Amino acid sequence: MTLLAAIRPDAWNLPLFLHILGAMVLVGTLALVAASLAGAWRGGSVGAIRLGFRGLLLAALPSWIVMRVAAEWLASEENLDDDPPGWVDAGYMISDTTLVLLIAATVCAGVAARRAARVEAGGRRAGRAGAGSAGLGRAVVVLVGIALAAYVVAIWAMATKPT
Amino acid sequence: VYDWLLFLHLIAAFLIAVTAVTYSASALGASTGGPAIRVADACWNVGGIGTLVLGIWLALYVDGYEIWDGWILGAIALWLVATGAGERVRTEFAEGRDASAVHWVRTLAVLGLLVLMVWKPGA
Repeated sequence: MTLLAAIRPDAWNLPLFLHILGAMVLVGTLALVAASLAGAWRGGSVGAIRLGFRGLLLAALPSWIVMRVAAEWLASEENLDDDPPGWVDAGYMISDTTLVLLIAATVCAGVAARRAARVEAGGRRAGRAGAGSAGLGRAVVVLVGIALAAYVVAIWAMATKPT
Repeated sequence: VYDWLLFLHLIAAFLIAVTAVTYSASALGASTGGPAIRVADACWNVGGIGTLVLGIWLALYVDGYEIWDGWILGAIALWLVATGAGERVRTEFAEGRDASAVHWVRTLAVLGLLVLMVWKPGA
């Protein structure tokens, strides 16, 4: 059993590498976004909110695509795409559901970053915009936190492959 | 046992990825701030020990691997490079100096580890 686990056809290596690399950058970016926005929870720092938005848009979403496309490629190499086992279905379900969360978090972070920039520039309704951006920042932390928890379950499913 | 060892080994590797991504953002000019750096450093500590201990445990547990296999020895060497570079990055960052070059060395070592873990040359 453990010997079998060590053997893998060479054709699976590149898609597996890209799948894990995409997943690692995705999880790393989400942790960075959550940590920086949670750190700025009270202050609503413009830099942290901007980092959250850019991280989601420029790193999390592209790495999700790399992870998901490589997963499809890997499933095709392993001939799992016609009748996927439960652990592959779980992976698809988690990745597809979390994409919705990631898009929602990106939109919230984008709006929060725009409002925070308006506050920084000292606009007319700065106070109201500041409160709004802090609330959206919290929403991003919650959405990203849910996605991270789901990815831990996905990593467990990919590692243990429960039937 | 194998499944749980692999799961925890992967979680430790993902913690290292948190550190690599956070410091990469900082090296690329993002204002990552104190809390994110503290989380990244904590992830590096736990992930570093976790990958090494669980990786060696896996090498001993799986019938097809031996601890003296070239790819495992290479991984341990890369782990040492990454750890040394990581320590230097942390010190230089804390002192407010530019640690970008050393950070990229660490990131390349982490990427090399991932390549070795997937391809397992010689296994």
